[in-house]
Amino acid sequence: MAEINWRTINIDAYDPESCYNFDLRSLTPQVQPISTQDVQTLSGQIRQLMRSGQSEDALKGALENVPYGADDAGRAIHLSLITELLQSIRQADMTPLLQRLYSSPNGSETCDTLMKYLYKGMAQGTTGHTQTGQGGKILTPQATGFTQAGGRSFGGAEGGGQGMSVLLSWHEK
Amino acid sequence: MSQSLRPYLSCVRTTLTAALSLSNFASQASERHNVPEIEAQTSPELLLNPLTVSRNAEERVFVEPSVNSVRISIRIKQADEIEHILVHKFTRFLTQRAEAFFILRRKPVPGYDISFLITNFHTEEMLKHKLVDFIIEFMEEVDKEISEMKLFMNARARYVAESFLTPFD
Repeated sequence: MAEINWRTINIDAYDPESCYNFDLRSLTPQVQPISTQDVQTLSGQIRQLMRSGQSEDALKGALENVPYGADDAGRAIHLSLITELLQSIRQADMTPLLQRLYSSPNGSETCDTLMKYLYKGMAQGTTGHTQTGQGGKILTPQATGFTQAGGRSFGGAEGGGQGMSVLLSWHEK
Repeated sequence: MSQSLRPYLSCVRTTLTAALSLSNFASQASERHNVPEIEAQTSPELLLNPLTVSRNAEERVFVEPSVNSVRISIRIKQADEIEHILVHKFTRFLTQRAEAFFILRRKPVPGYDISFLITNFHTEEMLKHKLVDFIIEFMEEVDKEISEMKLFMNARARYVAESFLTPFD
């Protein structure tokens, strides 16, 4: 009993009305749970689009069908899909593509979702030492995996900067 | 500026500009207190999603926004042991003089080398775009500084070794 340091106990946390006991789930919107299989089939369809060269449609499809209700594995699959997509799009095509994406109906929401994925992709590259990316293929760990992950998320960042500047210019108009 | 540094800094700039929309917000947990919510962490509904901007695995910026404060943590590039020591010394020098820098945090967030804490009082007193400019400039300068210090140190070490070993020649 003497080993417990009473001064370090946060007594506020024991108050049922305290903000520590605030249920954050009451703030998040209710979403339909989606199974990992569904995410996988969706990513398969989008990959097919990408392989046939319609990367714009693929990106749009991926950003409009975000698995908000999926578990961590499903989200990881979707994230790797989007980063793969962003990698496959050439630098020169980025700006016109973003402009078209933004001017389409629901464009600003699509761009918002893109921004979310860019930030998530960048955060991902730093935390995971060994990543399993790109369709479950295990990347060579450490050095090479790192550079790939960094390079990939960075390609996204470039798009992010441009995406923002596009958004800003549209806002100005 | 190198090819990959420019988009990195521009991304940090846009992120910070977006994150630095702060308002005066008194503490909900204790009356008549006004604390940076990102440090107090008493009300989870006031904290926004933390963002990471990374250039590569070693260089990244972590931005934690909240309703009345933003915490910005920078991880400075450290290629080897010497750079690690130099970065440590350099950031220690700065953080010990934190009161002169206003926005500098005395202790970095774990995993990062140096942290800044910008509250709504800072944005009221100072110009927001200048604050962002300062952070960007700091990030540009610190890399230069560290590599310069490393060069100087190596030159000095060579000279010392030479003059020390001359009698044995």
